[in-house]
Amino acid sequence: MKKGYMGKVLVVDLSTREIWEETIPDTVYKSYLSGMGLGAWMLYNRIPANADPLGPDNMLGFMSGLLTGTGSLFTGRWMVVGKSPLTGAWGEANCGGHFSPAIKRCGFDGIFVRGKSDTPVYLYCDDHVREIRDATSLWGQDTVETENALIKTVNRPNAKVACIGPAGESISLISGISTDKGRMAARSGLGAVMGAKRLKAVVLAGTQRIVPHNRDEIKRLSQICNRWVQFQPPFISGPLTAPVGALMRILPTVLTQDGLLYKILLKKWGTVSMNQMSPEMGDSPIKNWKGTNKDWGFSKSYSSNPDVFTKCERVKYHCYSCPLGCGGICLTNGKYQETHKPEYETVLALGGLCMNQDVDSIFYLNELLNRMGMDSISAGATAAFAMECFEKGIITTADTDGVELTWGNPKAVEYLIEKMARREGIGDLLADGVKVAAAKIGNGADEYAIHAGGQEPGMHDSRNDPGFALHYSVEPAPGRHTNGAGLYYEMYQLWKVAKGIPKIPPMYLKSSKYKTSKRHAEIGAVNSKFMNVINGAGVCMFGSFIGAKRIRIFDWLNAAAGWQFTPEDYLETGARVQTLKQAFNIKHGIEPKANKITDRALGIAAQTQGANKGRTVDVDTMMADYWEEFGWDPSTGKPSQEMTNRETINGI
Amino acid sequence: MAFNIIETCIGCGACIRICPSGCITGEKKERHAIDPTLCMECSACGRICPSGSVENRLGQIIQRVKRAQWEKPRFDHKTCMACTICVEACPTGAITLGEPASKDPHAYPELGLEKRCIGCGFCVKECPVTAIAMTAPVEALPA
Repeated sequence: MKKGYMGKVLVVDLSTREIWEETIPDTVYKSYLSGMGLGAWMLYNRIPANADPLGPDNMLGFMSGLLTGTGSLFTGRWMVVGKSPLTGAWGEANCGGHFSPAIKRCGFDGIFVRGKSDTPVYLYCDDHVREIRDATSLWGQDTVETENALIKTVNRPNAKVACIGPAGESISLISGISTDKGRMAARSGLGAVMGAKRLKAVVLAGTQRIVPHNRDEIKRLSQICNRWVQFQPPFISGPLTAPVGALMRILPTVLTQDGLLYKILLKKWGTVSMNQMSPEMGDSPIKNWKGTNKDWGFSKSYSSNPDVFTKCERVKYHCYSCPLGCGGICLTNGKYQETHKPEYETVLALGGLCMNQDVDSIFYLNELLNRMGMDSISAGATAAFAMECFEKGIITTADTDGVELTWGNPKAVEYLIEKMARREGIGDLLADGVKVAAAKIGNGADEYAIHAGGQEPGMHDSRNDPGFALHYSVEPAPGRHTNGAGLYYEMYQLWKVAKGIPKIPPMYLKSSKYKTSKRHAEIGAVNSKFMNVINGAGVCMFGSFIGAKRIRIFDWLNAAAGWQFTPEDYLETGARVQTLKQAFNIKHGIEPKANKITDRALGIAAQTQGANKGRTVDVDTMMADYWEEFGWDPSTGKPSQEMTNRETINGI
Repeated sequence: MAFNIIETCIGCGACIRICPSGCITGEKKERHAIDPTLCMECSACGRICPSGSVENRLGQIIQRVKRAQWEKPRFDHKTCMACTICVEACPTGAITLGEPASKDPHAYPELGLEKRCIGCGFCVKECPVTAIAMTAPVEALPA
């Protein structure tokens, strides 16, 4: 099959222990692409309405991308999809590493698991063998131990493992799935779905070839992309990123950002390049979203300046097919000898959000969370929530073994995360995220629980970029920061290749960002559509930031599958996937309005100082406009039945 | 038409042992067979076959080559972008990532497990930036 995709999926029923292949019609790929789109199509049709996310009816999909393995670049992302136990809605998580090609090398575009095993098991798959194997001896082991043990057991070249740690086993609703010894598909609590199914791991060791329609054309486009990526002028030192952020805060105008600048930062430092720049410009939530850049100024963020992370970086690593290499392995002085270089999200969630300046504790907790298989964004956000509850007297030292949960106390952060990871003491209360914890604690704790539909948002302040407020609130998987923002739209530069979408001028007044305008929804809708194309293709979001003329995703897709679709056609495909995911939520009883992010993150009440002083985001209007962009009911966010029937192609 | 083993096969099993996808079956001293759904067309079976019994999809017999003369990948690290596509493309796990050089923190691919290499050239085929070339070993000329 010379189409880039494999045309088949593997379905596993852990209850009956049956395993079978299913052929997917070409129409499905043309309508939804592969990856998350194919996953949405399967799950919409296969999970019965109102299924328990932790029950046997939920189906978990491990998805590769259409472009993975075709010679295209930045296309090593794999995705996990399912009904989220954290939000009760569509659940998705996205991860790099080397698991994505492993799915296709077994001959599949996705592996779907339903049912529930009575005992711990793992799924093994290669060119010949598809087996459910006993994992009793692995139950209780952390993700690194599990991966090492399984690689040794299967003894196959290039075997790849996706597994859960103790957090997933104990059904923590903020647990994720690990590959490459600690790279996490962390969001939406899908590790808990694996844990509930008693599925400890998926091990893949196939060798099949991935054959695109026109590899030479793909390579030609890859070489264009690579030339831009390798363009790397010398850049300033880490701490000097802070004044750049401050300048962006002070200027009354916005210079539309070319993603090449961010690419340069990523190549030099990775995502930690934003550790000081983001707080300075008002992009980072501080002190459980009630603080500002004045609380987390240069002197406080300096301890986690980008150079700190590159100085202890033993080696930079690249995800599959990535020419950039923003990842790294760092040597540490603590309990663990080394850890994946913490991401910006992790550093801010465990740092600025909790006012914690101790970078050693961040290295330690980063590795602990990776090994326990827990989402560092949600874990850090939940720790910050607990600290504010402590400040307000809702939680006391009687609940914390005498530990003072004061802001900036690294021992308090370590205590909370360790307890959550092991579900011990107060950790048992907090291990399911802020929404569940606030409901259990009561006493007005929900005022301090910052979430969208139950999921803790990423470390990007929606008061600084209202696009984040929109996407946190309207996405079928709420609270995710990787689905869109005003800044992302600027960097995609899609207007250079697609017709009929808003064009951003090279410079504009910053105040225009905060005015109510339908423009926010227009841009937001294009962001969501494009992200569905990216997730169908398996492209890294950071790669797509270098601009649509430089990374030719639409042309790659045509060359891989032999199609002749236009960029506008692909955005229409993205819209179809979005409607499908929204229809999934409606089918499962989700009211889209209920996913609106907590008031504090919208500037209600507005902050009285700092970068986002006086800003309030009118997200209600933006949400209605956004839904209208998709042709859904603007008052409820629900697609009509006619539209649902048309876009979900049930009959296949 | 996939790869095929013809009737001159002597059933020695050399192809079974080298096939990285395990797609060849057959009893000893009997004609072996290739499963066309699993064959990745690496040609290793043909290059190792002592009786010249493997034909490619064009019906041409694959010539036997002494294993010491099999082509092996050589990496141009100035062109290489360390994307690891070749590492994952290698069906035998022969390509590994080396240690970073003192001034360059990236880990580049190398033929770390050379004995595993079957000279299939998939690494060359999949490399997007033509940073790999297959070269035959150069024998030292007699003095």
